[in-house]
Amino acid sequence: MFKIRRNASIAIAFFVFVFAIGTFVGPYNQGQIAVALTLFIGVLSINILTGLSGQLSLGQGALMAVGGYGCALMMINAHLSMWLAIPLSLIASALVGLLLGLVAAKLSGPYLAGTTLVLALAMPTVANKFDSILGGDTGLSIDTGMPPTWLSKVMGDIAIEQWNLYVSLPFAALALFFAANLFTSQSSRRWRAVRDHESAAALVGINVERTKISVFVISSAFAGVAGALYGLRGLVGPSVFAISLSLSLLTGSILGGLRSIAGAGLGSVIIVFLPDWIGKVIHPFSLSDQVTNYLPAFVSGLLLVLTVVVNPSGLAALFAKIFRFSRVKR
Amino acid sequence: MQTFLTALFTGTSHGAIYALVALGLVLVWRGAGLINFAQMGQAMFSAYIASTIINHHINYWWAFIVAIIAGGALGGAIDVLVIRPLKKKSGSSILSSPSMRDAIPVIASLGILGILQSAAGMIWAGEERGFPAPVSTLGLSIGKRAMPFTRFDIFVIVLIWLILIATTLLLNKTSVGLAMRASALNMEVARLSGIRTRSIRTLGWILSGSLASVAGLMVAPATNVSPNSLDLLMIIGFTACVIGGLNSLWGSVTGAFILGLTISFINIYDAPGDVFLGIFAILIAVMIFRPSGLFAKGKARNV
Repeated sequence: MFKIRRNASIAIAFFVFVFAIGTFVGPYNQGQIAVALTLFIGVLSINILTGLSGQLSLGQGALMAVGGYGCALMMINAHLSMWLAIPLSLIASALVGLLLGLVAAKLSGPYLAGTTLVLALAMPTVANKFDSILGGDTGLSIDTGMPPTWLSKVMGDIAIEQWNLYVSLPFAALALFFAANLFTSQSSRRWRAVRDHESAAALVGINVERTKISVFVISSAFAGVAGALYGLRGLVGPSVFAISLSLSLLTGSILGGLRSIAGAGLGSVIIVFLPDWIGKVIHPFSLSDQVTNYLPAFVSGLLLVLTVVVNPSGLAALFAKIFRFSRVKR
Repeated sequence: MQTFLTALFTGTSHGAIYALVALGLVLVWRGAGLINFAQMGQAMFSAYIASTIINHHINYWWAFIVAIIAGGALGGAIDVLVIRPLKKKSGSSILSSPSMRDAIPVIASLGILGILQSAAGMIWAGEERGFPAPVSTLGLSIGKRAMPFTRFDIFVIVLIWLILIATTLLLNKTSVGLAMRASALNMEVARLSGIRTRSIRTLGWILSGSLASVAGLMVAPATNVSPNSLDLLMIIGFTACVIGGLNSLWGSVTGAFILGLTISFINIYDAPGDVFLGIFAILIAVMIFRPSGLFAKGKARNV
């Protein structure tokens, strides 16, 4: 009970903090923060799956796509309100996650990575197969619409980027709350046991297969909400949920810290803002286009490899270590 | 009939290339216990080097040799610069669980792939380059009959079979091969019996890099060379390993030929768009009924 109250207050503090930042920065950065909040939920889904239960998925983007398409279909065909369609889209992705989990529970390391990778690659084909419903290569366009009038009355004129930020924020805060509870819950101890020693976990009576499946379902639900929000920026289509999305989520998760929620936050901020920061740094050097185009990818690859080799627990763990160190010294 | 034979020959020739990729992946997997997603990035890099050499009007075969050396050098460099330091970190808390020990190096290889691709983009402007084939890729006719295969198909199949046989001989008949198999089986015991396991592992990386470069050069005439041109090859080769079973060398080669034929028949009789769905269907079917691959030996129960 105490933990739930603590986690709730953290989530509320997060909400207020990001809301405040959102009112101070310009439209471009508001849009970027909205994307970071969305990817925060996506990175959380990786931290739950890989960090807590040790299953490596390279196709988290495909689960996001399921959420995105689910949300788009509900909004376009059933004319549901966005506020209903986003939470409902997690059911779609959780169901796909259940199917995938049933297969995944039998697979170990590279076999699971391979299956999820090919799933992500097969996704555009599915979109083309059901062209009439899913819109093929072009995809379906949805957006967050206009901000409600009462909000405009309170806040003044609201740019579309700012509205996107306000739509993503409550879901990010909720995701933070649920993830924080998950990380401290009893089931997460079970997941960790399976991650650290499958045989020992089975010996103390944990049903390994069922545990793996349930983690997959929960992680997919997070990915689904992230996908719905990601699609609501304007388009749900194969190009939006490309394989590079799965990889950048993984990069964010590793850079920030695979096993912490703060790490997911740090990681999503890094993957979204890194190109901007690099652009600022190299601006005075007037490099040629071919260098500037590829530099962000180069730096994020380099950061990923460096993190893995030097500090595989990620930035969050590093900060925690520094903080603890200074406290001991004092 | 003609269509069927075309599909058969294209499938075999592509399957041979996939087999080479799969072989490279299995060599690293058995030596270091990780899937090297950077493998075709190394091959792409060396294909760019080869194409630069050819653009300077130097003989194709010199470029071929340089590409193989470059691929091997990149493989060795990755092992020495990234994988070895990573293995030393096994004390840190995140690497203490076996599942993470498997996952983290794979993620590192994805990072290396990103570095190689963006570096190629920066050096060669990411332009898509054509790449010559050593022999004609046009339809071959013997007498007056047009054959369902090209000279290049035959060249690829013969070359790759020679390489497959040579690799098998190396692994099974030489002392180096014995050392490689021993360190793959049990690193500790191999080291105790005087095998320099670290050097042997680096050798596996070098060999795998060279094989990947050959595979890259063999598909380059069809796909051209660009930073992402070999991604598809990597994914298909990897899927072949997963289908065949990573621990069985010939299993993954067989998996590669199965995939080559499947893709070619889907391409010709169905639609090219369905290729990934086909691959995914085969993969899921294999994973449900044989979770460690078609040719894996029965897995022992731990509990």
